[in-house]
Amino acid sequence: MAETEAPRFFGSRVSRVQDDRLLRGHGRYVADIELPRALAAKFVRSYEAHASVGDIDRDEAAEADGVSAVFVGSDFVESEIRCVSSYEGFQISAQPILAVDRVRFAGEAIAMVVADDEYLAEDAAEMVFADLSPLPVVLDLDAALEPSAEVLHDGWADNAYVRRAVKTPGFEAAVSGASHRVTIDLNNARHGAIPMENRACIADYDRGTQRFTLYTTTQIPHLIRAGLALAMDVPENRIRVIAPDVGGGFGVKAQLYTEEVACCLAARELGRPIKWVEDRREHFVAAHHSREHRHRVTGYFDDDGRIIALEADIRVDMGAYSVFPWTATMDNGMAMGILPGPYKIHEYSVTGTPVCTNKTPYGAYRGVARPAACFSIERLVDQIARHRGLDRAEVRRRNLLGPDDYPWHSPSGLVYDSGSLPESLESVLSLGGYEALLTQQVEARAQGRLFGIGIVAFTEQTAHTTQEFKQRGVPIVFGYETAKVRLDASGTAVVSASIHDHGQGLETTLAQIAADRLGLDLEQVRVEYGDTNQVAYGAGTFASRSAVLAGGAVTRAADDVVAILKQVAAHDLEAAIDDIVLETGRLSVKGSPNASVAISEICRLVYQRPERLPKGVESSLEASRTYDAEPGTGAYTNAAHLSTVEVDPMTGKTEVLSYAIVEDCGPMINPMIVEGQIFGGVAQGIGTALFEEFLYDENGQPLSSTFSDYLIPTMTDVPDFAVAHLETPSPFTIGGIKGMGEGGAIAPGAVIASAVEDALSHLGEPVVNELPLTPERVLAYIDEATAPGGPR
Amino acid sequence: MREITVTINGKPTSATVSPRLLLSDFLRQDIGLTGTHVGCEHGYCGSCTVHVDGASTRSCLTLAVQVAGRAVDTVESLAPDGEALHPIQQAFQDCHGLQCGFCTPGLLMSVAELAGTNPECGRAEIREHLAGNICRCTGYHQIVDAVERALVALREAQVDG
Repeated sequence: MAETEAPRFFGSRVSRVQDDRLLRGHGRYVADIELPRALAAKFVRSYEAHASVGDIDRDEAAEADGVSAVFVGSDFVESEIRCVSSYEGFQISAQPILAVDRVRFAGEAIAMVVADDEYLAEDAAEMVFADLSPLPVVLDLDAALEPSAEVLHDGWADNAYVRRAVKTPGFEAAVSGASHRVTIDLNNARHGAIPMENRACIADYDRGTQRFTLYTTTQIPHLIRAGLALAMDVPENRIRVIAPDVGGGFGVKAQLYTEEVACCLAARELGRPIKWVEDRREHFVAAHHSREHRHRVTGYFDDDGRIIALEADIRVDMGAYSVFPWTATMDNGMAMGILPGPYKIHEYSVTGTPVCTNKTPYGAYRGVARPAACFSIERLVDQIARHRGLDRAEVRRRNLLGPDDYPWHSPSGLVYDSGSLPESLESVLSLGGYEALLTQQVEARAQGRLFGIGIVAFTEQTAHTTQEFKQRGVPIVFGYETAKVRLDASGTAVVSASIHDHGQGLETTLAQIAADRLGLDLEQVRVEYGDTNQVAYGAGTFASRSAVLAGGAVTRAADDVVAILKQVAAHDLEAAIDDIVLETGRLSVKGSPNASVAISEICRLVYQRPERLPKGVESSLEASRTYDAEPGTGAYTNAAHLSTVEVDPMTGKTEVLSYAIVEDCGPMINPMIVEGQIFGGVAQGIGTALFEEFLYDENGQPLSSTFSDYLIPTMTDVPDFAVAHLETPSPFTIGGIKGMGEGGAIAPGAVIASAVEDALSHLGEPVVNELPLTPERVLAYIDEATAPGGPR
Repeated sequence: MREITVTINGKPTSATVSPRLLLSDFLRQDIGLTGTHVGCEHGYCGSCTVHVDGASTRSCLTLAVQVAGRAVDTVESLAPDGEALHPIQQAFQDCHGLQCGFCTPGLLMSVAELAGTNPECGRAEIREHLAGNICRCTGYHQIVDAVERALVALREAQVDG
C-alpha cells in the first residue's frame, strides 16, 4: 500500500468496474458466444424416476431435418462421474453421462440430439423413444433407510451413502447431570439456487492438437477441468475451461455436470463445436437440488436455560448420485460441524446419514447446510426459552459465545477465530426496535391480528480451507486460492485470480486491494479470471472464500512486485532500498521529497531499458502467490437478524413486514458490495422460509418445474432492509478479512419461523418445525394452536 | 419463411425468418443483440423484456413475425456505444442495483417504461411495477434505491432541459 497514506480504496463504496458492460447489455455470457459451425444439443430426459432402460429407438430422430447425430448411453459408456469420499464405509455411485441400463431420477438424460439449431434439435428430441420399465421408487429419506426399501445402486448394502457419528468424551456425563431436555424434529424442503441464467456450455475440440475448449457456466473452472480430465481420461493440459460472465451461481454452478462431459465427447466425435443452452424446465429437474435436511435435535439445559449438551441426528436427501467435487457427504459434514453454532456448548453427540433417493442429485447452495443447522439450533433455543419462560433474547444472552471465549474450540472440532455475538444481538434488537415491537404486538393481538417477531444470532463459517476439507473426506482438498500480479511496461496492472466473479463484485474488490498495495488508481488495475489457460490453479468461488483467500493472495503477490519496484527505484535514485517509500503513483526516498520516480517509469525501465537495472534483477514485474488462511477451519463472521411478520389467520399467508440485520464480517473491502451480498442472501432465505419447494408425486414425478409452481421471491415479497455493521478483524487472515457471501441466506428460515411461532404463541404452542411456511402449513399450525384439547 | 421489416433500436432492419422464431432468439441470434437475456422461456422472469412500440414486452413469448412493421427497442438502445450511461443505468451503478447482470437488461427496460408512465411513484409502487422482473442476486433493496434515484434524475433532467 502507499505506505505513507491510509488505503485509498479498501473500505470505500467504490462503484463496480464491471457494471458498465453489464448495464449496456455487453456482458458476455455463455449463451451469447457463437462459434463457427457450431451445432445445437438437446437432451432427452427420463420421465420415470426409477426404471430399467430397454431399447432406445433413435432412428426417426437421426433421420430428422438438420440432425447430425443422436447419442445414447452406450456411445459414452467409457466416461462417468464418480466422486468418492474417503470416509470409511462410503458407498460409491457412478453417474453415467447418458443413462445406460437404469435411470435413477426423473430428468436424468437418456439421449442427446445434435442438430443444426435448437429448434431442429428439439423437434428431433420428440422423436426419440425409450423403453423404460418402472422400478419401485425411493422418495423419502427415512423410507429409503427401511430394510424393505429398493436399493438404488448395485452392490450397495442399503441407501445410505455413509453413516457417521461423532461424540465428545464428556457427553454422557453431561446429559445425566442435566435437569431439563427438549427434543424437536425439523424438516427443510428440497429446493435450489435457481440463478436467473440457466446452465449452458459450448464444447470445441481441436483434432490437430487433441485439445478441448469448454465454455461453461461455472463458478469453479479449474475443478471442472479436473473433473473432465477424470471423467474422460484426458490429461488436464488438453483441456481449457472458460467461464465468462456467469449469470448467478449460488452453488448450483459449482459441480461438474454430465451435460458438460456429453458436449465434450460429442464435439470430439463430430469434429464440430457443440452448444447446449439449458431451458428453465430442465434446470428445475436436472440442475442439482439442495437444502433437503431432516434433523432431530435434543437440547439438555439447566434451570437458567443454559445449554449443557446437544444431541442431533442429521439426514440429508442427496438424491441419486454423488456429485463432483463435493461427494454426497458435503451437507451432512457441514451440518454436523456447525450445528452448535454461536453457543457455548461443550458436549455434543451427532449422527449423520446422507441418503440416496430417486431424486435429482444434490449439490451446493449458498450456505451449504448452514441454513438447516441454523434453523435447528435456533428453533431449539426458542423452545428452551419457552420451556424456562424466558424471553428469546435473554436465553441467547445466556448462551452466546462472548468476546473472551475466542479462539473457541467447538465440540465438533472447529476453531472459531473471533466474533461479536452479544454485541450483534444487542445491536439488532436496537436497530429493529425490539422493545417497541413488543408493545406493537400487544396492540396487534388486541385487534385480533397475528403479529410476530423473530430473532436469531448465528455464525457463518467462511473461507475454510485445508483443515476443514481434509476432515470432510473430499477427494480434492480445497485449500488455497492463487493470484498473479503483473505490472506492464505502461505501469498498469493485471491481476489474474483463480476465483470467479458471477455477481459478488470480486472484479472490483480485488482491484481495490491491488490498487492500494501497488499505489495505483483503480482504473490502472484490471482483474481477470475464469479461463484456465490464463489464470493459475485454484479452486474457484464458493464457501465465502474468495475475498479472504484471493484477497490474501493478491496482497502477497502485489507486495512481492512492490519489492522489485523498490529494488529498481533504489538503484535509479541511488538510495538504499530500505529508504524507498511507495506512494500513490511514485516511489520516493524517505526524507528527500524531491528524490522520487514515477511507478510507470520504473515499469518502463524494467521491460525496456534492461541496461539500467541493478545487477541480478530480471526484466519481470510479476509474482504469483497462493494463500491458505490457517488454521484452515475458517474465519467466523457473525450476525444477528430480527424480522417481523403478519400472518393472515384466514389464508395462512405470511407477510414479512420488516427485516433488520447486524453483520460483523471484519473489515469490509467495499461496504456497498457487502450490503448487496447480505440483502441478496436474505431474499433467497425468505424464499427458503416461505415459498421454495421441489414437490414430487408418489411416482417421483417433479411437480415444480416452472416458475408458476415453484415460487421465488419477487420485489413485492421482500421488504426494505435495515442494516448495520460491526467490524471485528480476524486474527487468522491477511487484513483481518472474513468472508460473508452466504450469511444472508443462512438465518431467514430460522428468523421467520421464530416470528410465525411468536405470532401464534398467544393461541397455543405449536412448534414451527417445517419449511417453507406455505399458507397450508401455517393454517395447520393455526389449527394445532386453536384445536379443542390442544396445547392451551 | 417470412420476410419482415422491423425498426430495431431506431434502425429499419429486414430479415427472413421462420414463422416459429421467437423474438428473443431473433434479436440475440439473427441481429446479434445479446443484451436481451432469456431466463425462463415461459414469460415469468422478465429477463427478456424489450419494448415493442414503446410498451414493455416479453420477447420470449413473442414471435419475430409479430413485430413486423413495428418498433423494437432493446437494452442496447439506452446508451449508444461511446456515450455516457443512461440516467437509469447510471443509477443502477451508483446504487449497486445489479450483481451478476443477467436480469438487469430486462429490469432496465421495465424501469424505462415506468419512468414514462409513472415518473413520480414511490418505493411501494416501484415494487409493484417491477414485480414481474425476478432478480435472484440483489434482494431488490438496492434496485429500488436505484429506481428512486433514476426517477429523480430524469425529472431533474426534464426541468433542466
